[in-house]
Amino acid sequence: MDEMGFLPSFPLTAANMMLVGAILLCGLAVGQVFVRVLKLPRITGFVAAGLVLGPGVLGLLDQTMLGELSLFVDISLGLILFELGRRLDLRWFIHDRWLLASSVAESLLSFLFVYGTLRFFGIAPVYSATAAAIAMATSPAVLIMIVHDQRAKGPLTERLLALTALNNVFAFLLIALLFGFVHLEYRADWLRAVLHPLYLIAGSAGLGYLAFIAARTLARWLGKREDSQFVMLLGLIVGTVGCAISFKLSVLLALLAFGVFAKNLDRDHDLMAVEFGPGGQFFLVMLFVITGAGLRPSELALAGVVGAAFVFARLAGKLAGLGLFAPLSGIAQKKALLLGLGMVPMSAIAVVMVQGASALNPEFGAKLSSIVLSAVVILELVGPLATQWALRQAGETESATGVDA
Amino acid sequence: MTLEFSRSAPFTMGVELELMILSTHDWNLIRGAEDLLALIEKEKHAGDIKPEITESMIEISTGINTDYRTMLAELNAIRDTVVDNARRLNLAIAGGGTHPFQHWSEQRIFPKERFFHLHEMYGYLAKQFTVFGQHIHVGVSSGDDAIYLLHMMSRYIPHFIALSASSPFSQGMDTAFDSSRLNNINAFPLSGTMPFVADWNEFNAYFDTMRDLKVVDTMKDFYWDIRPKPEFGTIEIRVCDTPLTIEKAAALAAYAQALARHLMLDRPSAPSLDVYRVYSFNRFTACRYGLEAGFIDAGTRTRRALKEDIAETLVRVAPHAEALGSTAALDEIRRCNEAGENDASWLRAELKSGQTLNDVVRRQSHLWVTGGKAADSSTGQ
Repeated sequence: MDEMGFLPSFPLTAANMMLVGAILLCGLAVGQVFVRVLKLPRITGFVAAGLVLGPGVLGLLDQTMLGELSLFVDISLGLILFELGRRLDLRWFIHDRWLLASSVAESLLSFLFVYGTLRFFGIAPVYSATAAAIAMATSPAVLIMIVHDQRAKGPLTERLLALTALNNVFAFLLIALLFGFVHLEYRADWLRAVLHPLYLIAGSAGLGYLAFIAARTLARWLGKREDSQFVMLLGLIVGTVGCAISFKLSVLLALLAFGVFAKNLDRDHDLMAVEFGPGGQFFLVMLFVITGAGLRPSELALAGVVGAAFVFARLAGKLAGLGLFAPLSGIAQKKALLLGLGMVPMSAIAVVMVQGASALNPEFGAKLSSIVLSAVVILELVGPLATQWALRQAGETESATGVDA
Repeated sequence: MTLEFSRSAPFTMGVELELMILSTHDWNLIRGAEDLLALIEKEKHAGDIKPEITESMIEISTGINTDYRTMLAELNAIRDTVVDNARRLNLAIAGGGTHPFQHWSEQRIFPKERFFHLHEMYGYLAKQFTVFGQHIHVGVSSGDDAIYLLHMMSRYIPHFIALSASSPFSQGMDTAFDSSRLNNINAFPLSGTMPFVADWNEFNAYFDTMRDLKVVDTMKDFYWDIRPKPEFGTIEIRVCDTPLTIEKAAALAAYAQALARHLMLDRPSAPSLDVYRVYSFNRFTACRYGLEAGFIDAGTRTRRALKEDIAETLVRVAPHAEALGSTAALDEIRRCNEAGENDASWLRAELKSGQTLNDVVRRQSHLWVTGGKAADSSTGQ
């Protein structure tokens, strides 16, 4: 028996690594086809690749495999949210109060419009509210990827990133609070309804703060060397993601808080603005393919009308909120319109939030996902296109000079 | 058709400053001019605020001033207008002759007919023209006076280059020059110096020939280091880098004003072609070495340190500065000259203190807002 031990035996031991490699290459190939043939953003291609490989269509990636790959999703989201948090310059909101007003307005109105729409379709208040809270957030992953791909630079890009950072903060906080109501809905006691949101918010923010202190201390010791700081931040981000999971905190909130603290509390500017570049691409491609695999085309047919109504109510809320305050915040109405379109993507984060809700209560999670995921299918495919179009219209992409993604 | 030279009160002055618009995220240049100008247009403000060739630039200019202090006050007000509005857009503003690490190819031409025309005509030079200068206007009472003053002033061009130099870095590198910005201007076909004409009539004849030959359309097509500006009734000194502070900008204008008064009232000599024979060499060494440069004096046919020449000139113009009320400004120029400190040395020291070029830009933007007061604070904003 043993003398043939040098030959591989089934199941193959490094199957997971082969899987990761295969996912990356498939995503890359489909992404290239989308860019070259269909002239669509490559993100849409990554998602489509996942959709086809996933349980919804071919089933090459099944639910257990996706579960094993969730680590990649968490790390990718950690990287993105940290990056997004660093775009939330609180001084900007102090210098321009109307920007804060327009952020609150677009978040609030998209919440209210979506809530109203879902209630109209007869969906119970607590589900409508959670789904509407998810609708507030713009996908930072899609936004950051498009900005990176298109080399978008300019005032609209900056504004889009800042507003997205803030609507994510609002959404995370609101969802954490709503978890309290979910406990009540499922007959838990008041204490749990109060303590759970409190633990999530304070704990995640506290973890983000500790990560920031560690980053600043290490940065002072390392000095201003981009390669060292890059590895240091990557290490802290992955470590923080792990801590958040272990302590049952919110990965999203903790990493966003880490980024916000790094931007706003780093008084001596010890931390460098490192870009995650090609290394980060690896995680992003994985994220989008896995997100795609989590989508079910059947959801679309099932809840087509509600999904479409959800999408329109959300867009209307964003456009109304931004349009209302645009003149006061020093931007033209046309730019407000482009901002609203740029904020269309709603994706992986929503999926993670739904998973969070499922962990809380499987019945709740199942009901919620049937409402939200149909909208996710639509927005996941259309969103990148909207953002890319908006940035191009604003003249802030590099395509004008002949460089394409 | 002859160019009419508008008469203006002698020794009045005005300045134009080209400024950089920065992202507060990475301190690179950002295309913010359009939004910023739209915001500024909505309010009443001092001076004039205009777009420049690429979208990360903005130009501010003062009105006509006689007194150095009123000009500084006006610059103060304009700066505050620009900075306050920039803050509302989360943009930052800074002085300096070049942005240390921007890439010229990433710049976009500001959407205006004239700028598109320049881009069409000059190709990549137009985008490489994303450099930031200070122009100083000095009023004269006639075209003939303008020609005389211009020739006399040419000798002192290295002073202005060395004192204002603030562009040691370009495209992410230390260029070894104190003012690398002027190298970008040399590439233009109509850069250099005005021909050695004797008076306004002769200048007009030259201009007519150039126009008949279709080399130029207007005076704007000449990119000379100093040029007459007939519609303003001034001569315009165009070699200065935009300093890191408005205080420095005002002091440089006051130096030009006092020097002009000395040259016009004392008439120390007749214009000499010899000045132009050594001109390029003196200009180059001033760009390269700043206040440590050498200087060839065409009048005495001697070679000396530029610092020495500036120190002597300051002594000569002191009575005129006193008459104009700008002694304090010239004292500041003297202090910089004696210490051998210009903005280029400040920028290099910042980089050397363990900072990245991004940090250097952040600091220079902070300096622009606070003025000289924060020059020695080490914490930045």
